[in-house]
Amino acid sequence: MIFYNHDREVITDFISYFPKTCFIMTQLGLPLPEKLKTIREDLCEELNKRGFSELDANSSIKGRDFLSKIWRQVLGVPLGIAIVTEEMKMSTISNIFYEVGVLNALGKETIVIKSKEFSIPSDFIRTEYIEYDGDFKEKINKFLDEIDELADHYDLMGDELEANPVLTIDYFKRAYLLNGNATYFKKVKDLMNKETFDSQTRFGIKNFLATEKRLKKKELKK
Amino acid sequence: MAKKGTGQTKNPRTGKYVKIDRDKGRIISTKKSPGPYKNVPVIRKKKD
Repeated sequence: MIFYNHDREVITDFISYFPKTCFIMTQLGLPLPEKLKTIREDLCEELNKRGFSELDANSSIKGRDFLSKIWRQVLGVPLGIAIVTEEMKMSTISNIFYEVGVLNALGKETIVIKSKEFSIPSDFIRTEYIEYDGDFKEKINKFLDEIDELADHYDLMGDELEANPVLTIDYFKRAYLLNGNATYFKKVKDLMNKETFDSQTRFGIKNFLATEKRLKKKELKK
Repeated sequence: MAKKGTGQTKNPRTGKYVKIDRDKGRIISTKKSPGPYKNVPVIRKKKD
């Protein structure tokens, strides 16, 4: 459970985890292309119906440089969705696909939503994408159904790999990030008390368990 | 009770079967071609 920052140093402070949260990768600078506005509105409507929140690089300002902020946000979410349209500048599109790569490398689920006229770069032909058209809602919900099933798959993997508690906890953490089921905190706590872990692994587990407290505090503030 | 033996389960996103060793708690391999591994039991979630 070692994570690196974008300067390739080991992250030694707690990462904030955001269950049921989707990192949106798209153009944020104004003026936003009209197609992008429509796609994002429709996407957010469907995400909200399924209990997912959205997060993007503009979501919180914490004094860190932009890339550092994105990096930490990405570490905390279970999935990312990119939106690209042919109206965007090449530099913006490059940034978006860079972020897709970062998410993939960190084991996060990703999907690209593209306008009909946008051509996917050749290196990303194998990347899964959804074309924005009249069937968009159906297609995005199919993807979100798979995400629900993936949480069940991670849960099963966690249970079946119990002979290796480090893997079990990692699968439970990923299941939790996808479905937000708080029962994983107890499961992980029980494992932490039962098994022996090295100090770095314990730190990672405590980091995950700290999410419960943080979210409870957030609820109280509301 | 510890889970025993080798089993496989399908990843719903990739559609590929993952073979696991439950005694050692490790992932053995992911099947590249479609369908499950032969002679390896498929593990399914027990309904609560």
